[in-house]
Amino acid sequence: MCAGTGLVSRSLIREKIRDCEIFSTKSRLNSRLFLFVCYNTNMKTWEKLKHDPRLWGRYALREQVLREIRMFFYKKNYHEVETPILIGHPPAESYLDVFETTLLDRRKNPKNMYLSTSPEVALKKCMVAGIGNCFSLTKSFRNTEVGDRLHNPEFTLLEWYRVGATYIDIMKECEVLILDVLERVIPAVKASKTIQYGKEKINLTSPWKRLSVQEAFQVFANVDLNEFFDIRKARVIAKKKGYTVADANTWEELFNQVFLNEVEPHIEKNRPVFLYDFPKAVGALAKTKTDDPRFVERFELYIGGLELADCYTELTDWKEQKERFEKELLEIKRLGKTPYSYDEDFIEALKAGLPASSGIAMGIDRLLMLLTNTNNVADTLLFPIDELV
Amino acid sequence: MSIVSTADFFKGMFVIYKNEPHQIVEFQHVNPGKGSAFVRTKLKALKTGKVQEFTYKAGDTVEELPVETHEMQYLYPEENAFVFMDNYSYEQASVSKNLIGDFVKYLKTNDTYQVLLHEGDAVGIRIPKKVRLRVTEAEEGARGNTVVGGTKTVVVETGARVTVPLFIKEGEMIAVDPATGSYVERA
Repeated sequence: MCAGTGLVSRSLIREKIRDCEIFSTKSRLNSRLFLFVCYNTNMKTWEKLKHDPRLWGRYALREQVLREIRMFFYKKNYHEVETPILIGHPPAESYLDVFETTLLDRRKNPKNMYLSTSPEVALKKCMVAGIGNCFSLTKSFRNTEVGDRLHNPEFTLLEWYRVGATYIDIMKECEVLILDVLERVIPAVKASKTIQYGKEKINLTSPWKRLSVQEAFQVFANVDLNEFFDIRKARVIAKKKGYTVADANTWEELFNQVFLNEVEPHIEKNRPVFLYDFPKAVGALAKTKTDDPRFVERFELYIGGLELADCYTELTDWKEQKERFEKELLEIKRLGKTPYSYDEDFIEALKAGLPASSGIAMGIDRLLMLLTNTNNVADTLLFPIDELV
Repeated sequence: MSIVSTADFFKGMFVIYKNEPHQIVEFQHVNPGKGSAFVRTKLKALKTGKVQEFTYKAGDTVEELPVETHEMQYLYPEENAFVFMDNYSYEQASVSKNLIGDFVKYLKTNDTYQVLLHEGDAVGIRIPKKVRLRVTEAEEGARGNTVVGGTKTVVVETGARVTVPLFIKEGEMIAVDPATGSYVERA
């Protein structure tokens, strides 16, 4: 038994049990062995479930949530699309690390392939082809996202797209969906309009709070974004606040450092908050706001401190999309991440015309953290990554 | 003093934060939505024991504090500190309570610990991976009781309570993982 690391070797446990000399028949070995494993924190989920069947409750909720989400969209006549997980060209997004694999043809000629980081591009191609409103509830994969309580490199993502809608319309639909699912799977929510998450009793009464990024910076960090948009002023402000500012630091880094240290921790946890209108530098695939080109039409939903969803009015301009992809590829190269070529077919699809639409991505594992009142995404999964490696 | 990057961070490392010595008690990598990489840390101030969060840009540099390790014996508690002695030089060091944290409940008189010193001041102790403690109070475990989850709580010599298997008896030595407070094995 490797003490300290918490790892348990079965042969060592057997040895220890023999040392204990408290049983003699072989038939009792399994229950004793099982008990011994219980004393260690690294029990596999299936073992915990066998040991304590009450834990099935969480996983029953997962089943119900997946079913209710599908029902919600079927009733609204959305098409469910099975999007590919194995893809040849991920959308260029420098902040993500992709999983790379190799496709072999019959002659074993190799071709680089990747695991999809989101169903976005596939859904948009369907929209170009004329599918109309659609959604995908699928596994997505992001490399390096391990070792913390909010991520699992393989995760369940819901994305839906609505023709003719803006991000404001999706905000409302997102609120209706979450309330509908919550009320159906936890009947008590219907009457109380609250849900307990950790120490917070979250008030779910409609309409949910909407807070612009600009307001949030002003209120929580005492930063006027009008000034901060000027990179020289941003450097001065960041320095004054005590952050290290190097010449190589980009505006996006300065913005996000203030955001992570001074804004995000203060977003209210006792009610859902839509944080909306992000600076263009942090909205790669979002449409620029017509009345203020410094911002894009994008929102994030926070509930109980969890970032649950990310939405934007889609960028439909193929030229701008191509430029942004090329910029992202350079960034991927600069950061030394797994290189790939972006999806040119997607640019072709945009040329053919993506209808004006909005789309949203929602992390279903995190939604389940909220519903099951658990603090670690691994607790919502039957097979979290730590048990698989 | 050496300059290190966020890539070199490890749990327990001593760094300068806002001109004061701090220890990194927790850290994790974060990617804000559509943004570059950051490292979120929890930093404990060595002077006050106060813990606060700070998020570094990936690649930011900090000053690492040079820390010496001295093997010292734990002697006795003071009001808000614990006194340790080097058995060769007879030098004493007093480590404040909040720098030892939760480990306080496993601290055993006359045991030897690795005391961390910065410029002569004690800034903490290295928490061992497991501690051996005598069980001082234990109820008789019902023999052959195989009810699932068959555990009981015992008291060890330092006063801490530990959940153990039923077969552990009073007077036995057990090993405990101080990080989780859980029973490891008979020792």
